[in-house]
Order: sequence, then structure tokens, then C-alpha cells
Amino acid sequence: MIWRRLAPFVVGILVAVVAYDLALMATPRLLMAAAFDRISAGGVNRFTFTPLATDTSRAIVRPSPDLAYSSCPFDLAGGPLLVEVPPVPASYWSLSVFDAETNTAFVRNNVDSGGGSIRAAVALAGQAIPDGYARVTVAKPRGIALVRILVEDRGAFPAIDVARRRASCGVG
Amino acid sequence: MKPWLRYTLAVALGLVAGLGGAAYTVRSGALGSGQSIGPWRTGADFGTAEASARTRAVVAMAGLLALPAREARYYTAVTDDAGAALDGRCRYRVTGGNLPARWWSLTLYDAAGYLVPNDADRFSVPGAALAPGERSSWTIRVAPDRQTGHWLPTGGIDAFALTLRAYLPPDGGKGTPPRAALPSIVKEGCA
Repeated sequence: MIWRRLAPFVVGILVAVVAYDLALMATPRLLMAAAFDRISAGGVNRFTFTPLATDTSRAIVRPSPDLAYSSCPFDLAGGPLLVEVPPVPASYWSLSVFDAETNTAFVRNNVDSGGGSIRAAVALAGQAIPDGYARVTVAKPRGIALVRILVEDRGAFPAIDVARRRASCGVG
Repeated sequence: MKPWLRYTLAVALGLVAGLGGAAYTVRSGALGSGQSIGPWRTGADFGTAEASARTRAVVAMAGLLALPAREARYYTAVTDDAGAALDGRCRYRVTGGNLPARWWSLTLYDAAGYLVPNDADRFSVPGAALAPGERSSWTIRVAPDRQTGHWLPTGGIDAFALTLRAYLPPDGGKGTPPRAALPSIVKEGCA
């Protein structure tokens, strides 16, 4: 008798716990998909060179106004993504690759590369990549490759902006 | 009440409670709610598969595409040293010294995580703005009206957050800096 009265409450609590956990687990994937859609307005498998962030910037939450961002939303359905980032006149720059779950799959900066170019191939398991690239294996085809360049003085940005456009990102 | 109706109601209420609780957790979670160091909150597992589901969800909401700790540490404050909420109508003195990073910057955001409009079009103070002689002991004034020295405008908004980015920490992001290593935030007065 008591069980018959308590059972609906127990079911309700179990449903609440499962719904809470599933919603938290799904949040990164959903927000990453939304960010992918916003960023890919400039194209997929190619770099979009964003101006320095201001109060009107809305593509990504908490942008740094001290960094010049170049983003390459990618889709590996057509093959691996080949990314090359040549040196730029800045004291810090890096390439990072985020998978569909928001995990960082790869980070390399100018200190790691000794100031030389950074070359990475983002691929699904089983996709072959050319020689000369650091392999970055991701589980799902979509994600975002992001170049950050430190702009210590906004007056230096025009020169950095010219230099950063030599970076390339495309399906090989 | 019919048994099937009781169960239907229980499932519906469970869904509402679970999804509502998750939404509240994600929206109210501060970036870096894992560790507190004075007014600063941080975490060492951003952007990694090892992070908890809660951390991953909060970071996705409050700081999508954040880097892992070996590349950058993010310290966020929504209160001053005394624990009072940061108010854009007040003046604060932020003081610090050499920070555990190759380079750093202090940025002001609104409650939604966006940069705040202000007449000076200034959104951050990078460490590089400090003269070499003042890097071991510096002061940044955070206030709605123009200040002498290093000034970070609040735009006069009700509530704001400060995020300190510390890139390439010397310990590879593995440790927790002592309180004395991070800046203090002291309210000087309100308009």
C-alpha cells in the first residue's frame, strides 16, 4: 500500500535526475553546434579573419579584445582538413582545434613551434593525411580550428592582419 | 486519482525539475567555479574530456573555446575582496604584481559575457601596457569615469565581471596559485 503511494514520487525523482544529467551532457554539443552555425556564415573549411573584438561582438561569448581570432569551422565529410599557420609579427600566436563536444583536440603555439609555421591535419580515424602535418584525430566530422594572435598594441593590428591572412585551411 | 495519471504527473514534474535544474546550473555557473582563490574563480580542466559534465556545460555557456590550463588559465571575479558584487557604478582599485604567466590581460565583461560599451572604447588592460618598472607592483582603476593611470571603464552598468587571462603559466597550469599571486580588488566608493 505504502509502495503504491510512494512509487510515483520515486519515479519522478529518477526522471528528474536522468533529465538533469542528460541535459548537462548535451549542452556542450548543442552550444558548439550553434557556434558552428554562427561562425560558418563566412564559409566552412576556410578561415574567417575576425576584426578585434568590441562591445558589438557576439559570435563567441567572452571574446578577448587582446587577441585577433581567425576561425575555420570544419566538416571532414570530404576528407581531412589541412591547416597551415605561418609566423606572424606577434609575441604569441597559437592554433587550437576543438571537436564537436568542445574538447580541445590540439593546441600548438609559436613557442612550441620555435617560431616556425604550424601545420596540422585534422582527420577522422581511418582518413589518411599527407606527410609533414601533425595528425589531429577527432571522433566526429565537425569542429572549429582557431588561431589566436596576441595584439599588444591595437596600432600594430593592420600589419598583423595582413600577415595572418597567409594562413590556410581546407579539405585536402 | 488514477494510477496512470499519478505516474504521468510524476514523469512530467520530474522532467520539468531535471531540465529546469540543468538550465539553472548552466546559467548561474561562473566560468571557473571549480576553485576559489580570494575573489577569483578558476578551473584547471577547461577544454578537456576529463572535466565534469557540469564544468563542460558551464564552460560551453560562459567561455566556449576556452583553452586547456597548460596554455592559459582563466580567473574570473564577480565580487571584490570583501565579497560584494562588482557594481559598474562604483570605483575599484585592482592591485597586483608579477603574475604567473608569459603574458596576461584583465578584461571587463557584462553579466552575459560580452564587452561593455564605453566612451574610451577600452575593454581590457593587457600586462604589456604596464611600464617595465611597474610590473612587479601595479594598480588598475576600474571605474565608470576616466581615471588617471591605468583605467578600465565599467560603462556604468549594474553588474560586471573581471576575467584575468594568464597565458603559458610556468607550471604548465598544473598548480593552484596562492592568493598573494593574484590581484586584489578593493572598492573605493560608489557614485
